[in-house]
Amino acid sequence: MAQHSIIGKPLAMIESGAKVTGLGKYADDLSVPGMLIGRILHSPHAHAVIRSIDSSAAEALPGVKAVATGKDAPRPYGILPIGHDECVFTKDKARYIGDNVAAVAATSAEIAEQALDLLRVDYEVLPAWFDPLLSTEAAEHWLFADKPRNIEKEYHHNFGSVDEGFAQAAFVREQRYFAGEVNHAAMEPHSTLAIWEPDGRLTVHSSTQVPYYLHRTLAEVLEMPMSQIRVIKPLIGGGFGGKSEVIPIEIAAGVLAKKAKRPVKITYTREEVFLAHRGRPITVVDMKVGLTRDGKITAVAARVVQDGGAYCGYGPVTVLYSGALLGALYDIPNVRYDGFRVLTNKPACGAMRGHGTVNVRFAFESMLDDLAREAGLDPAEVRRRNLLKAPCITVNGLRVTSYGLPECIEKVVERSGWNAKRGKLPYGKGIGIACSHYVSGAANPIIRSNIPHTTVHIKIDRDAAVTVFTGASEIGQGSDTMHVQIAAEILGVRPARIKLVAADTELTPIDLGSYSSRVTFMAGNACLEAAKNMRAQILEAIAAKYKMDPALLDIRDDNVISLDDSRLHIAFDDAIATALEFRGALVAKGTYAPPEEARGGKHKGAGVGPSPSYSYSAQTVEVSVDTETGQVRVEKIIAAHDCGRALNPLTVEGQVEGSVYMGLGQALQEEMVWDNGRLMNPSLLEYKIATTLETPEIESIIVESIDPEGPFGAKEAGEGSLAATIPAVANAIYDAVGVRINSLPITPEKVLAALRVGASFSSPSSSCSSRGSDGGAK
Amino acid sequence: MTMPAFRLERPRSLADAVSILATHGPDAMILAGGTDVVPNLQMKLFSPRVLVDIKPLAKNAQLASIDWSPANGLRIGALATLTSICESPLIREKFPVLAAAVATIAGPLQRNMGTVGGNLCLETRCQWYNQSDFWRKSLGGCLKKDGPICHVAPGGKFCWAAWSGDSAPALLTLDAEIEITGPQGARRLPLAQFYKNDGMDRIALGRDELLTAVHVPARMAGRRGNYHKLRVRNSIDYPLAGVAVSMHVDSRGICRDARLALTAVNPAPLLVKEACEWLAGQPASPELIDRVAQQAIRTAKPLTTSGSTPVYRRDMVRVFTRRALEESWRSADGK
Amino acid sequence: MSKQLIKLRVNGEQYELAVPPNKLLLDVLREDLGLTGTKRGCDDSSCGACSVLVDGVPMLACVALAASYQDCELTTVEGLGTLDALHPVQSSWGDAGGAQCGFCTSGFLISTKALLDRNPHPSLDEIREALSANLCRCTGYMQIYESVKLAIERAAAAKAAGAGS
Ligand SMILES: Cc1cc2nc3c(=O)[nH]c(=O)nc-3n(C[C@H](O)[C@H](O)[C@H](O)COP(=O)(O)OP(=O)(O)OC[C@H]3O[C@@H](n4cnc5c(N)ncnc54)[C@H](O)[C@@H]3O)c2cc1C
Repeated sequence: MAQHSIIGKPLAMIESGAKVTGLGKYADDLSVPGMLIGRILHSPHAHAVIRSIDSSAAEALPGVKAVATGKDAPRPYGILPIGHDECVFTKDKARYIGDNVAAVAATSAEIAEQALDLLRVDYEVLPAWFDPLLSTEAAEHWLFADKPRNIEKEYHHNFGSVDEGFAQAAFVREQRYFAGEVNHAAMEPHSTLAIWEPDGRLTVHSSTQVPYYLHRTLAEVLEMPMSQIRVIKPLIGGGFGGKSEVIPIEIAAGVLAKKAKRPVKITYTREEVFLAHRGRPITVVDMKVGLTRDGKITAVAARVVQDGGAYCGYGPVTVLYSGALLGALYDIPNVRYDGFRVLTNKPACGAMRGHGTVNVRFAFESMLDDLAREAGLDPAEVRRRNLLKAPCITVNGLRVTSYGLPECIEKVVERSGWNAKRGKLPYGKGIGIACSHYVSGAANPIIRSNIPHTTVHIKIDRDAAVTVFTGASEIGQGSDTMHVQIAAEILGVRPARIKLVAADTELTPIDLGSYSSRVTFMAGNACLEAAKNMRAQILEAIAAKYKMDPALLDIRDDNVISLDDSRLHIAFDDAIATALEFRGALVAKGTYAPPEEARGGKHKGAGVGPSPSYSYSAQTVEVSVDTETGQVRVEKIIAAHDCGRALNPLTVEGQVEGSVYMGLGQALQEEMVWDNGRLMNPSLLEYKIATTLETPEIESIIVESIDPEGPFGAKEAGEGSLAATIPAVANAIYDAVGVRINSLPITPEKVLAALRVGASFSSPSSSCSSRGSDGGAK
Repeated sequence: MTMPAFRLERPRSLADAVSILATHGPDAMILAGGTDVVPNLQMKLFSPRVLVDIKPLAKNAQLASIDWSPANGLRIGALATLTSICESPLIREKFPVLAAAVATIAGPLQRNMGTVGGNLCLETRCQWYNQSDFWRKSLGGCLKKDGPICHVAPGGKFCWAAWSGDSAPALLTLDAEIEITGPQGARRLPLAQFYKNDGMDRIALGRDELLTAVHVPARMAGRRGNYHKLRVRNSIDYPLAGVAVSMHVDSRGICRDARLALTAVNPAPLLVKEACEWLAGQPASPELIDRVAQQAIRTAKPLTTSGSTPVYRRDMVRVFTRRALEESWRSADGK
Repeated sequence: MSKQLIKLRVNGEQYELAVPPNKLLLDVLREDLGLTGTKRGCDDSSCGACSVLVDGVPMLACVALAASYQDCELTTVEGLGTLDALHPVQSSWGDAGGAQCGFCTSGFLISTKALLDRNPHPSLDEIREALSANLCRCTGYMQIYESVKLAIERAAAAKAAGAGS
């Protein structure tokens, strides 16, 4: 392949100037004349019928311009077509502490808060369900009358024959694993500014990862045509999935703006961010894996219960990802999966970095470590013996086009000194290995249609600036820069010549958003196609004018040149003038839709899991364990990630290190702690995301498998590494002190308890909410 | 979250400050660095009518200085920032337990603002109390604020909110005294008598008084000492348990005099008095250290005021006590 | 609540403003002065996104009542450098990947500037310690350290160039 001039080189993100000067605008930085401040009234009860709401006193308060309740926006919505179960303000009953009941817009935050105090809500408190395992035994008082026993969704998959598989195994293990609930904790609390325009249209600036879904949902709930609504994504202070569903604040601001006919801004407090949540659910995994004497995995069976909280959200997708990715990292002939998404009276869970795969991967990779030990094999070697032979189709129908996992394993084994360390470090010190993978976007969209998943437009006018229009959302991951790199590379111009217009539904074509790591693969491919199309138009015009073969022309360093000896050399600006004379206008488009072969099998739920391509990661983690306190210090993490091709190594490394960091937090210290449905730690002081002092050195190694369908061979880099970190930590702890912790987070207390009994430690299996009395009226 | 309304006073002299406090009584609240007061105000934990910002006093008097003389010992003005204390070469050298403890408080940004006076007068903390207005209302309040019951010990009428400051235990092991200034002028009080071990009513300070300095007697200078703190993160976090030790060990390795104090496991920072008696005159021995550690556990009465369990916190009090004593003995040997 | 007239010196400019006494410096910067580079990420003064320099010392603007900081020289991220003359910490943060989503960035830049002013050649441990009250959810901190190191190099190079001319 030709040498690239921009692709593959580290490039500072194009918006970094705006970020480092403080001049860039995030949603809460915006203000417009006449802007009102909105505040939301949340339910103080975990489960309660709303008998009535008296808003007269609040409405009478001077400065209050609008009060909205359920009747102002009665249309239910939800991210999945099968899960339209939420209203922006709940109409019939509140389903968790923090559920949205009403909202107020006033001339100041103080007045809005006073008005909330004046809203009189008459609640009838109901028994509530907090523990997912008990919730499914509920005989009455279900969260939704049409969801018996509080089961939102269940899926049962069976590939191959697990019974035969287990019969062939020399070693079979069964174990329950538990993972506590975690939150994205992006540094920016959600914020939305909704502006009611003089012409009766609505403009919404919001901290969203997916302007398109917000656009649709606003239209549905506000009962306005999409054409009358414009959604603009400003700078986003991190998403990680927490801004990928439509969040109540985004609709609430729209409802209030429509009602007050004024601009309304609402910004969440940090506590509200935790209540809006949509994070990774409490998960109970009953895992069973069989291994032959020579280390071949014969079968895996998993029963997974996810505590989805009060609404559907992305729930069915989460539980499907857990199953679909379970058996697709390695070559496993027999896979059984039973997944349950359960409703409880807590904030709704949703998509979070590594959506669906993380907790199951923790269970599987922990168990594989134990099996390897039982078989007397090196855990790294066991992983090598179960590799897929790509290209291939996995047992559950996922198409694997490129597979850098073998190289990832080799890289971390070599770099970490694995062979010299594993099992050989002094007591208290240990090393662990684990692997993971993730999709490069979902091959099937949430809302089924044959419209491309993404479209990119490019136009060039007389200023010879290349304007790229994309619906893709920069959320800190490098989306904007990726477009600029691809367009500049193909068009042979400096990145500075590219102007990017992104994520504004009035100007940019639709993209399905920044989630499931789809942007580089999908929007990247669309951008590549658009740029190639534009390049062809320019070269065609030049070729026509100079009577040359366009195949012998190229654009390099802002000049059109000839590849033969005619020494043609035309400055880009002049070339554009020529092309405009020739074509009238220079506009190009590119689209991307995953190929039919990538869209998966036909079984129920087969739509989730298929992706045009998968990333792979292997990691080693070194720890030291203080055997008197149970404290685990992570010394070093080496993460090798197969991202196909690193379009921008700087951002790829940043994504890998960030994923590892987030996994490490879930492994050791992050957990949302519940007491009777009440979140005990809704703050950044008590929800423990790691500081510089607990975060070890993370070394990222890029592995490039050059995917045949990715743009320049690229695939995802932003999520796949997260899941491996957690079991690698657990495995390192085992190597260090010989105890197996099956419950996340691995707190010092759990380690100490396990050390004392000298065995493994799992959380009590009967109950998995930290505290609470289910079915009790509280 | 919005701030409640109040009037702000910024007295320029100590006398003014005292008179403002005297005038407003329970309606007034002192503001120093604000790292405790301001987040608590945003959570609407209190509603003072007047906030008395004493930071301007740092300019005059000796309210922010750190002074040492062999005759008078160490004096730290109440407005001295935590950073100035833990970075002071003098304190690091002569009172290592204090430097060590203060260096663990919150993070560098908070330490640049927080004062030692504020740290010694910190509000007690509890996971049922340090929550937003919405959160507490949804629960119906707690004994310490707006409610009938203590969620930590629902049967009783006692508030178990934990003392969660780090400098107090260190200063207790140094026999510190505090200087309190009120309408009658300044008085001194042993720090140990300042704390009331009641989550609702933490310190013995009149409404018209303020803390103006901390004194450490000269005889405590040069003692070995260290501080062990239990927390999830190595920065930002309040203590879940803390153990401070100061010790004078002679050239033969005999402990001449020692103090041991605990924090974050009771509503007050507490000296483990028996430690002092038992250690004096003794050489290091595992049995003795173990006995003292067991006594420390008896002094610690942690309840579920924070994210960590009482069992684990008591366990750590034992481990940390042992480590702190061993380290003190060891570092003395090295001298 | 009635407002009172206060004077603030921010980024070398003198401002006279009428604000209520309970207004936080963070809100005055963001709402009254339009200096929105200083961010609010939490409500309990635990994230560091609102860091500003007060007489050269990094502090939390969410803890500070604006009226209490009238006699100080305040510096926000907007005062570190200009678009055509970025401060070395600013340019290096972009070039070495210190800023992903960018929301914590201004706080980190403030803490780093203060660190390098005091200690132009900090060790990695000193960098970690100085930045330990600033939370970043994106980077895992590795590229933040790279950014600090690059800033140190650039500052040293600028100094050498200045000395040479
Ligand atoms: C995120 C975060 C983490 C923290 N972690 C810790 C920690 O780990 N350990 C710890 O000890 N603290 C911690 N703190 C609390 C705080 O930063 C320190 O305790 C600090 O020393 C408080 O001092 P201040 O000057 O800011 O006090 P302020 O907030 O101004 O005042 C605190 C209390 O003392 C009173 N007061 C202040 N000065 C005087 C005086 N001179 N006379 C009488 N009363 C006075 C006030 O009225 C108030 O009740 C943390 C704070 C935050 C925001």
